[in-house]
Amino acid sequence: MYTAHRSRRKLRAAAIIAAGVTSALILSACAGGGGGGGAEGEADSGTLNWWGWTPDISVGQAYIDAFNEEYPDITINYKQVPIEDWEAALRPALASPSGPDIFAMQPGARVEAFKSFAEDLTPLAEDTLGEDWEDKVSAIGVEGLSADGKLTAMSIGATYAGSVWINQDLFDKYNLTPPTTLDEWVDVCAEFKANGVGCFVQGASQEGFDQDTLQAISDSIEPGVWTSASKGDTPWTDPTIVKTLETWKSLFENGIMQDGAIGYAQYPDANNDFMSQKYAMVQMGTWYMQYATTAGQTAAIEAAGVADPKPFPIVPIPFPDVTGSGNPAAYYGDSDYGLALNTKSKNKAAARTFISWLTATEAGQQVVADKLNDIPALLGVEPNWDSIEQPFPDVQREPVQKLIADASASSESRFLYLNQDVQDAILAACTSVADGSATPEEAAATLDAAAVASRS
Amino acid sequence: MVATTLQTPPTRQVPSDEPALKRRPHRLSPPGLPWILPALVLSVGLIYYCIGYTGVISTWDWDGISPNPEQVGLENYLKMVNSPVFWGAIWHTIVFFVVTFTAQTVLGLLFAVLLHSQVKLAVVYKVIVFVPVVLAPAIMAPVFRQFYGADGQFNWILEHIGLGAITQPWLGQSSTALWVLMAVAVWQWTGLTFVLYFAAMGQIDQSVLEAARIDGAGNIRTIVSIIWPGVRGTTVALAMLGAIGALKTFDLPWLITVGGPNGATEFLGTIIYRQTIPNYHVGYGAAVSIVLLVLALAMAILLQVRGREKVTVD
Repeated sequence: MYTAHRSRRKLRAAAIIAAGVTSALILSACAGGGGGGGAEGEADSGTLNWWGWTPDISVGQAYIDAFNEEYPDITINYKQVPIEDWEAALRPALASPSGPDIFAMQPGARVEAFKSFAEDLTPLAEDTLGEDWEDKVSAIGVEGLSADGKLTAMSIGATYAGSVWINQDLFDKYNLTPPTTLDEWVDVCAEFKANGVGCFVQGASQEGFDQDTLQAISDSIEPGVWTSASKGDTPWTDPTIVKTLETWKSLFENGIMQDGAIGYAQYPDANNDFMSQKYAMVQMGTWYMQYATTAGQTAAIEAAGVADPKPFPIVPIPFPDVTGSGNPAAYYGDSDYGLALNTKSKNKAAARTFISWLTATEAGQQVVADKLNDIPALLGVEPNWDSIEQPFPDVQREPVQKLIADASASSESRFLYLNQDVQDAILAACTSVADGSATPEEAAATLDAAAVASRS
Repeated sequence: MVATTLQTPPTRQVPSDEPALKRRPHRLSPPGLPWILPALVLSVGLIYYCIGYTGVISTWDWDGISPNPEQVGLENYLKMVNSPVFWGAIWHTIVFFVVTFTAQTVLGLLFAVLLHSQVKLAVVYKVIVFVPVVLAPAIMAPVFRQFYGADGQFNWILEHIGLGAITQPWLGQSSTALWVLMAVAVWQWTGLTFVLYFAAMGQIDQSVLEAARIDGAGNIRTIVSIIWPGVRGTTVALAMLGAIGALKTFDLPWLITVGGPNGATEFLGTIIYRQTIPNYHVGYGAAVSIVLLVLALAMAILLQVRGREKVTVD
């Protein structure tokens, strides 16, 4: 009996202590919130956690460094999560109370998935740019990042696909000119192969990059059909899409695509092969402009496993007119990403300061422009070429400037209207055509059925 | 007339030296409970609760985030049985199990027999055979991606031994990618099979082996008639582990081929991850998980029962 009583006393004492500690914690938490500039923290101080799959660490740090020149008391910790792990990492983080204050938002399916965790940034855009803020930024960044009447993220800039990048040194070495038609492309590849150099490399196991090539082919046949099919306005069995898949197959049959392309990843495989000069051409978009800088390319070559990285001239060219239709090469893009503010953030005021500075002020957007990773969201901001160090400006500057001008003029979307199910179906269609397990007609029919099912 | 007397039952006098516990048993706290509580909480709370919850989720149309999942009954299961990708994964699992189990059994048994004989540097061979077991697939995956690539070392070797005609992009075509994964699995897990067979052979009565020798049995006959039946229990256990392992296959196909090309290396595990994480179909992924669980249990029970029957007959 004595033992039982003592146990109860101990239990009671423990419960009292626990209750006391809990109360103290609650009170101290309340007190902390009250003393730190309100529930949203201070606008010009604090520590922020920013998560994204892009930009690279070095580019993200450059943004932060430039921001800290103006706001030295806001510390920002940038964490880059690999794109393939993005959902797996972000979903539980946002569901918890300790997720990132700021997270990258990609237009399309991810806006739908994560919109409930993102604060409406329309008031912030209005505060920064005025009531007519939508007229001052690229429309492509507003439409793709809006959902249910709210702006889930503010676009940092846009990226466009549709271009091919070449190694000018290798073309010069074998006295070749960049191809503009299918026949020229076949001849160029034959010449490179005869000299033991890979011609064109594509990571055809990744749906996003396959879509880029398919959209380029489709737009060369009949501009706009691919986007219309993406929206669901045109069936994927449309003759243009079938011809697109036929042409896609011809790239494999004519020796343009490298052996085993459908088992290749664009990143890291194709990127590393191009950066280590095993291949002379790669299908990449405007995001590749960052490697037309000395620092960007040196880091990329080193990351590709080259021991003594030395830049070589990489130059963008339009996607060759592989169908002979005579239509100009198309560019298509979306906001690369927007910065979203976590509704659970305890430092919302400081987070707003960073988001508005980087996405909607000339100072922030100039830093974005000069890194050549994105085409700035704020209209009128252009790269300051005098401050951008390119390894071969005579060869690179003009083509890169033209790429920016041509791509910026496009209003065609890249991924905006495609959910992951349709993207998977596109990958299945093009890889089944490539390995001969389906005809273009069969693959188009299967793709269309999957797209219809995903909308139901 | 019989006089009846109602008597109160005698009150039991408790000896003063009897422990208090016996006098007033604590019904609410049996003596063993604290000892089994951690394991009970772990297994019931974590494992069985999660299985049950996964079963519930499998009847939802849910993206894993929305607070209001939609009840869809068995729709996810219907979608699954109508999916060619699902049946492709089942077929890949069967092929994977049959090929890898057969190859590992043959190689593991062979190594065990050889190393039970008088071999110099036997310890070194044992280590060499077993080392792949302890290497993480995540570490080895990039190596194999490079090794079996179109311009990888495997093709280089083939070219240098006069087999250049059969070089091909092993991971970049549907017809060969699954075979590459099976080769990697055999390379990785043969060491475990070998160790278990090596240990099992040590349990075989030496007098039986000696008697077989005296009766004139050769090496092959001894292996077939004495050793193979003697390690039957190990073979059944390995078959069970292999079947469950094949059903749960995820790391190798995801890290080396990402389920491709063209779905040629899709397994139930890759479907579950792809549907649950990147595609936000958490309900569908849960339905495939439940099917995987049921199949794994069925395989384990089937192999166990088959193994027992044979032992009884013997």
